[in-house]
Amino acid sequence: MSAPASAFARRIVLPALGVIIAVAVWEATVQGYRLPAIVLPTPDAVVAALVELAGTRAFWRDVGVSLYEFIAGYALGTIAGIAVGALMGESRRFRMMATPVVESLRFIVPFAWIPLTILWFGTSFTGKILLVAYAVFFVMVVSTARAIAHVEPTLSRVGTMLGMGRWRLAWQVHLRAAAPTIASAARAAAAIGWIAVVAAEYIGASAGLGLMITNAATSLATPVVIAGMIVIGVIGAGVSALIGWLSRARLDYR
Amino acid sequence: MTPLGAATRAPADRSRATAWMLGGAGALAALAIWTVLSHVLATGGGVINRLPDPLIVARELLRYAVTDLGRDLLFSLRVFAIGWLLGAVCATLLGLALGRVQTLGDIVLPIVEAIRPVSSIAWVPLSIVWFGFGLTSKVFLVALAVFLVVIVYAVDGSRRVPADLARTATMLGMNGWQRFRSLILPGTLAEVLIGSRVSLMAGWGTVIVAELVAADFGLGAHLIAVEQSYNVPAVIATMICFGFTGYVMNAAFSRLERSLMPWRRDDVGRLE
Repeated sequence: MSAPASAFARRIVLPALGVIIAVAVWEATVQGYRLPAIVLPTPDAVVAALVELAGTRAFWRDVGVSLYEFIAGYALGTIAGIAVGALMGESRRFRMMATPVVESLRFIVPFAWIPLTILWFGTSFTGKILLVAYAVFFVMVVSTARAIAHVEPTLSRVGTMLGMGRWRLAWQVHLRAAAPTIASAARAAAAIGWIAVVAAEYIGASAGLGLMITNAATSLATPVVIAGMIVIGVIGAGVSALIGWLSRARLDYR
Repeated sequence: MTPLGAATRAPADRSRATAWMLGGAGALAALAIWTVLSHVLATGGGVINRLPDPLIVARELLRYAVTDLGRDLLFSLRVFAIGWLLGAVCATLLGLALGRVQTLGDIVLPIVEAIRPVSSIAWVPLSIVWFGFGLTSKVFLVALAVFLVVIVYAVDGSRRVPADLARTATMLGMNGWQRFRSLILPGTLAEVLIGSRVSLMAGWGTVIVAELVAADFGLGAHLIAVEQSYNVPAVIATMICFGFTGYVMNAAFSRLERSLMPWRRDDVGRLE
């Protein structure tokens, strides 16, 4: 087999074969065991549910609500996280002061905050926005602080030699040198923030994709549950791909 | 490894003492802010309904510790341990197969990659439909969360055999099985160990969500119970239990990782 043909086989044919096998096994399991649609619907039932969902206004409202909560919280958390992380990276003293607080809060994963945000903010958007911000914040703080503290010392020395002050050095040298690391953290944070929205919506929400699939699960509409999971996955992958692309284009000079 | 490592012992000790002092000051400052906030918010605090001061939370924590904490913690940890082991073992076996048998990898890995962005959290409702409210559904979710993380490390580890070691193996005339046992397997397991630590938090977070959504016992069930009775101090106390358990697990695993793989000292998950 020639090289391009084998690359074609590896990139297109075999993955397609995998998808076909997976769908066939799925279909065969449903047919073979005569599973009711409540337990496992056939692939075409899921596709039908997806198409039906896409035709309803309520679905797009849920998508909009979840995305809004995510975007607002993500923006808040990233900006605050980079700011605090940069301070921690620049000042050894501040880093030493903040480390115990950051480390102990960091281990209280965002999901554990969900009940408290409901008690404080009810089922409003505010609680979810703050939850996403919290989730994103700690990812950004930890990696920004680490990236800035580990900037090549030569760069700082060159900057000092050129007569840069502390702030200019921080802004123009350290932050830029750390940018690629911050960019990849921003991408990881997007995935975490997105899933925090969904989890928060399971437990207390008036709209959103998380609420949609828990409602579908309680009414045993399994095709809708799986369709909802696919939507959540696609949006999650899309959001982190978009942020990855944006940050690579804007920040990553490597 | 770090520039600090080259410094002599005495300055290192002094810097550690400074770190302790400043860290203590930072923690105290945070507690002070919390206390002040709790008093400000108690008298007409706007959106935040109620924030108890640290002492009340500490009292609640103590009360919980002498009553149901042991039982709840044991329950959550059991779910976590079973799921985590199951997920890690499956991921290692499948990762080895997919990483080493290229055609198999080409067929199956795209599917794994397609499932990965659907976080285990999104599986919670489906898992309840499938397995009900008991132990099985939570174990399934945790195993899935851990699996989706570890599989990446397992595939990567099984493929990344250093070229010089591979040449040495050829030179020594190793057969396929010997190569697998002394070259591929150790490399994979080393990566799996790292993946297992990375997956700790994903797994533990999944336990929390699964128990919040549906559980009879466990820390998450307790958390949702006290939330429904509007007991804010107990909610915060339970959150602290979650955080502390996560911290201990991570610290224990980092230590294990360092002692098993001393050559990878530099990338254990810590702030500095």
